[in-house]
Amino acid sequence: MLDVPIYGRIATLELFRPHGETQDLLFIATERYKFCVLQWDAETSELITRAMGDVSDRIGRPTDNGQVVYCQCFHCVLIIGIIDPDCRLIGLHLYDGLFKVIPFDNKGQLKEAFNIRLEELQVLDIKFLYGCLKPTIVVLYQDNKDARHVKTYEVSLKDKDFVEGPWSQNNLDNGAALLIPVPPPLCGVLIIGEETIVYCSANAFKAIPIKPSITRAYGRVDADGSRYLLGDYNGLLQLLVITHEREKVTGLKIELLGDTSIASTISYLDNAVVFIGSSYGDSQLIKLNMQPDAKGSYVEVLERYVNLGPIVDFCVVDLERQGQGQVVTCSGAYKDGSLRVVRNGIGINEQASVELQGIKGMWSLRSSTDDPFDTFLVVSFISETRILAMNLEDELEETEIEGFYSEVQTLFCHDAVYNQLVQVTSSSVRLVSSITRELKNEWAAPSGYSINVATANATQVLLATGGGHLVYLEIGDGVLTEVKHAQLEYDVSCLDINPIGENPNYSHLAAVGMWTDISVQIFSLPDLNLITREPLGGEIIPRSVLLCAFEGISYLLCALGDGHLLNFLLNTSTGELTDRKKISLGTQPITLRTFSSKSTTHVFAASDRPTVIYSSNKKMLYSNVNLKEVSHMCPFNSAAFPDSLAIAKEGELTIGTIDDIQKLHIRSILLGEHARRICHQEQSRTFAICSIKYNQSGGDESEMHLIRLLDDQTFDIVSTYSLDTFEYGCSILSCSFSDDSSVYYCVGTAYGRILVFMVEDGKLQLVAEKETKGAVYSLNAFNGKLLAAINQKIQLYKWMLRDDGSRELQSECGHHGHILALYVQTRGDFIVVGDLMKSISLLIYKHEEGAIEERARDYNANWMSAVEILDDDIYLGAENSFNIFTVRKNSEGATDEERGRLDVVGEYHLGEFINRFRHGSLVMRLPDSDVGQIPTAIFGSVNGVIGVIASLPHEQYVFLEKLQTSLRKVIKGVGGLSHEQWRSFNNEKKTVEAKNFLDGDLIESFLDLNRSKMDEISKQMGVSVEELCKRVEELTRLH
Amino acid sequence: MWREIGDREAGKIRPNSFSNRVKRNRIQSLQLSNHKDIVSSHRGSVNCLQVDLTEGRYLLSGASDASVAVYDVQRATEYDGCGVIAKHKCLFVVDKTHESGHQFAVSSAVWYPVDTGLFVTGSYDHHVNVWDTNTTQVVANFKMPGKVYRTAMSSLATSHMLIAVGTEDVQVRLCDIASGALSHTLSGHRDGVMTVEWSNTNEWVLITGGCDGAIRFWDIRRAGCFLVLDQSQSQLGRRPPVLERSATNKVSTSKSSSPSPNLPAKARAAQRKLANGSSMKQSTMAKIHTKGPPRQRLHPGMLSAQDRATAHYGAVTGLKVTEDGMHLLSAGGFGDIFVINRHIERYILRHVQDVQYNCPVEQKSVMIVSRSDSRLRLWDIDSGRNTLVNFETVRLQTSKPLQLATCQNSALVFVPCMTTAKAFDMWSGRTAMTFRGHYEYVNCCCFSFLDQELYTGGNDRQILVWSPSSLVYDEMDEGPNPDQDNWSD
Repeated sequence: MLDVPIYGRIATLELFRPHGETQDLLFIATERYKFCVLQWDAETSELITRAMGDVSDRIGRPTDNGQVVYCQCFHCVLIIGIIDPDCRLIGLHLYDGLFKVIPFDNKGQLKEAFNIRLEELQVLDIKFLYGCLKPTIVVLYQDNKDARHVKTYEVSLKDKDFVEGPWSQNNLDNGAALLIPVPPPLCGVLIIGEETIVYCSANAFKAIPIKPSITRAYGRVDADGSRYLLGDYNGLLQLLVITHEREKVTGLKIELLGDTSIASTISYLDNAVVFIGSSYGDSQLIKLNMQPDAKGSYVEVLERYVNLGPIVDFCVVDLERQGQGQVVTCSGAYKDGSLRVVRNGIGINEQASVELQGIKGMWSLRSSTDDPFDTFLVVSFISETRILAMNLEDELEETEIEGFYSEVQTLFCHDAVYNQLVQVTSSSVRLVSSITRELKNEWAAPSGYSINVATANATQVLLATGGGHLVYLEIGDGVLTEVKHAQLEYDVSCLDINPIGENPNYSHLAAVGMWTDISVQIFSLPDLNLITREPLGGEIIPRSVLLCAFEGISYLLCALGDGHLLNFLLNTSTGELTDRKKISLGTQPITLRTFSSKSTTHVFAASDRPTVIYSSNKKMLYSNVNLKEVSHMCPFNSAAFPDSLAIAKEGELTIGTIDDIQKLHIRSILLGEHARRICHQEQSRTFAICSIKYNQSGGDESEMHLIRLLDDQTFDIVSTYSLDTFEYGCSILSCSFSDDSSVYYCVGTAYGRILVFMVEDGKLQLVAEKETKGAVYSLNAFNGKLLAAINQKIQLYKWMLRDDGSRELQSECGHHGHILALYVQTRGDFIVVGDLMKSISLLIYKHEEGAIEERARDYNANWMSAVEILDDDIYLGAENSFNIFTVRKNSEGATDEERGRLDVVGEYHLGEFINRFRHGSLVMRLPDSDVGQIPTAIFGSVNGVIGVIASLPHEQYVFLEKLQTSLRKVIKGVGGLSHEQWRSFNNEKKTVEAKNFLDGDLIESFLDLNRSKMDEISKQMGVSVEELCKRVEELTRLH
Repeated sequence: MWREIGDREAGKIRPNSFSNRVKRNRIQSLQLSNHKDIVSSHRGSVNCLQVDLTEGRYLLSGASDASVAVYDVQRATEYDGCGVIAKHKCLFVVDKTHESGHQFAVSSAVWYPVDTGLFVTGSYDHHVNVWDTNTTQVVANFKMPGKVYRTAMSSLATSHMLIAVGTEDVQVRLCDIASGALSHTLSGHRDGVMTVEWSNTNEWVLITGGCDGAIRFWDIRRAGCFLVLDQSQSQLGRRPPVLERSATNKVSTSKSSSPSPNLPAKARAAQRKLANGSSMKQSTMAKIHTKGPPRQRLHPGMLSAQDRATAHYGAVTGLKVTEDGMHLLSAGGFGDIFVINRHIERYILRHVQDVQYNCPVEQKSVMIVSRSDSRLRLWDIDSGRNTLVNFETVRLQTSKPLQLATCQNSALVFVPCMTTAKAFDMWSGRTAMTFRGHYEYVNCCCFSFLDQELYTGGNDRQILVWSPSSLVYDEMDEGPNPDQDNWSD
């Protein structure tokens, strides 16, 4: 699998094969009117750009139904085998009233594009017809009486114009919205309406009625075009069959297959396996069975692919109270609505823990070589070694291995062949039978020297004593043989002989970290010849080395005493080290250990910032573990705790299982209804959501509007309050009021009500209710009062105690003058309002006068979709054309006019439609680190993207901006798309270069570059590669 | 409204169709603003209005009392009526008392398209002045041979700073702000030029409409005009049908499943049938969007038939290119509107073919007689043909340039129609809205796309603001509401 960033929002994606090509090409057009043709190069596994260009025009207005680009490549198919090479082209409908044609020349290269006038006003769909002599399009359009028709045009490349086509069809289904061209031999087109499906061609017309539904996606099943899968807006999958006798269409048949996610694309792969791509729920891989299951469905879901979109709202909570945020999103739509809990990093699910202070090392041992599970856990302390084992009740209790020397610290332990165990202490190496637990053999260190470091695998032991002696032993049945001894220049700081070759019990290489000259050396085994010496540079000694292999690639990892990790590619036959990379994991010494999870090997780096090192797509990845500090770790795969890890941290030994090894963890809570707003209440440990439940009973479709209360641990619905019909819940807030210690949930509805609830005994109790003049788009807690955005108005409510002891909301003051105040954030006495179409304005609440006044506004006409306050002076906004921007309060302005204006300071094209900003972070903040001080905001978008916006200090911004500029030169966008253009702020009115925003994804891609490109950038920047890596890594720690 | 916002949030509608839909809904509810007032500082009829192109914030107005004023339409100067009605007083006014102010009526005032630092005025005193907005000083002055009717600057231009000026004279003049001199004269019209408009797709193309009824297209880099619109050249039959097959499939059409019997009334849909053979001419027609390569310049002699073509009977009083650059709207007609005193019972008609007597406006003794041939036409710029959209019969002032405004989003054109302004549907020609509020003739319409507001100026010296009803959102959630317009006469 290859994934590449595309610098644009992809408007269309189409495969085609020009004349004379052996493989398909991919045509991509972006929403900013760039296009490119890509080719897959199987040899280098890279994408090659075949052609690129710009298809924008000054003339014309972007198509209203969403800049939908209709594109298709016309393949001339003749009955007689002469293919006219001129008859190939790409058609695009980008602007109302214009059809753009990009012809191919006879070598398959694209020629200059031209426009043809489309006279139909409201074009709903355009497709090329198959089997025509000349390229012919069929156009589905609506006239100004709202009737829908289709007509055909031939494209005349010579005249660069249309010629009236062979047929047309008037007065179709009023819901007709989709055309499916039918390939030869049948040809013609299917017109999918809401109540009928019509097959239409020059000489046939067939129609069948269908149950009213809106078809969203289709997929062709057979190459001859006789069967199609149709997916509708409720997630029903139907099969449409064109019945035909030879090439004559005799009729249409439709059959319901079953339920899927609401499809936005359907691709029939092969052998009845279908990919359902969904933007409202998880995408699915399904199999169509020949026979229906018990529920009458032919659909069997094989796999699901997580999709968070559309994220309409989310909140950031710390449910485990670990100091790490989690995002709970309202995702999906209609029946595919869900809550998703998104957590960063790898979690440890604690199974058992014991208090144990001063652990110096841990190893797990098996009771026999064939035993699949570990039995013993050897825990070493400064002056003793204790052995824990699982007893019959599956409890961990202390036990003894008679052959082990337990009055001293253990340096290393390992299972060995022939049902033996190895223990290394400072004075000797002991070989013990794992069955009788008795000492079978012992190798004593030469007198005067004690063993400092040691390592072992099933058949080998390598140890180092003071004075730079390196001793290599081999393990036999009941014997330890000293095979080789070497005298090194300096003392050894760490060792490893983890087998990474074919033999899982024997290593041909040994890695040795050295004191004094600060290097890592590779020795061959068994002869202990030095084959590579790699100085590490700096003054920090290596504290842990590890030989490991991921996805067939061998690495040497070397951890330093200051929390840095070096990794090298290791050539296992020559011992050569290449491709050195250095990253920082923490600030304390790191201990490296391998472990297995789901039968894949990973590396655990124990330190003050524990990290799991793993590999994906042959790329080394680092994911933090959600634990504060880990001193030692060892895998402990016991029968009672399979696949677990034993973790030593701050006076505690914990046994726990580890999450799947990936960066983000997503837990889905399927609701079956569309959650629209969410908020969390710390005190009652609940979430409250506003949701819409769609009922479909006997063709009747109705909506129910609900307020649901969910437990924040189990996510069970504990209480529900039904709103009136059509009463959408549009805002929800957990807050408390001045002079009242209780905490309430406030809900604003589209109906014009504010409801105040209290959670009592896990139930929602309505406490107060207030009518409003319009929909309540936003609610905020404000100075112990409630601030509501109601249509054009911002209204402040007081929480008043009535004579009878009950409470009510009483309006205090308000502010008019918005078109529609949709998004409101507050800070102190300041109120920041995001208007429907008038950008951001800043209001202030004046306590003395009890009034809200406008202080300043941004006079740009941004159609807002979210706002957030970054700090006292800077406000962040997201707008309708996928841009984000920041404005600054100008309180030092010289004139009223200047003070009344919010200056735009940052502008950036994100390419995502943001629904919500929230303060917070997905990573654990360590108070001592620099990045801990950088404020971040999280956003959620319609496409299901969760992102982080960090406010960088100026110095860092300047540095990274320079880096970004260099990276733009070095990393070329796929399809020749320019990063600079892609990120430029762009809306209907203007396009300006991005400013004061940086693309973190681009900057972080620095770490994936190969060494020569890194050097190139380092040269441009005049900063060392190491320093660059360090700065970029700091950045990666923000998310 | 909440439903639409919710749909946008969930990705069910795309953001740009959301904004277009909201704009359309707002435009449908345009009415005399109940919360925004422009306090006109003019003591003569308001002849032209323009909102600046950069911020959509400053409204420039020119009036017959030789004054020019600028209003901030975004930020009110004061509030009235418990802070609900925003009053917008002018930021400054330049009138006769100004040392270099115009002496006679200001017929045209336009902003410099790039920023609000400059604006251009044209007056009946034969002068075109270029003003510095901040100092209100004249920075350039051009003397014209007659009354100035219209001035225009190209909003696209990056390589020139030309003001196109239409005057009483037959020649159109281009004044260069950069050099302060006249740079071109364009000859072709046979009478004064009431209206000038730059193309919004090509910075070199200028469109002019004259009192001779002609609409001419000029590429200012070349001599002579390259296109004269001809009202008799219609769009119909421009695309030849594929003959051999078109007949056979007609049969199936009758079996159409849809119950709707409505035939599309639109002329353009029926074109297929009306092949009138004019298709041959299209190849000789110059196309505007082909930039760069020299288009064939027609010899003046060959041009003669085409050169005499007219777009309107009578004068062309208003031109407006649609925002997408594909269509041109023109207003024109001949005959004048006379206000007749019944006691005198005497009037002059120059070109009368039929006369309508209409109801009195203000006084019983006065009636208005108007020529019936005042029309709006919609032209396809690409082919240069009349689309034959049949705009409902209107009465227009024909003695004065009219300022039209369009709103492509809603396919509307705003036209001053005597004492009202009307919005016509661009494709059907039907009246979509009528704006009654001025007491005398309306001269100019200006539509602010950012706020979806319409500004109109009239002989009653008022500038009226027509804004979307602020209650529109509540109504949309509760279903359609009856027309709330209670302005009647």
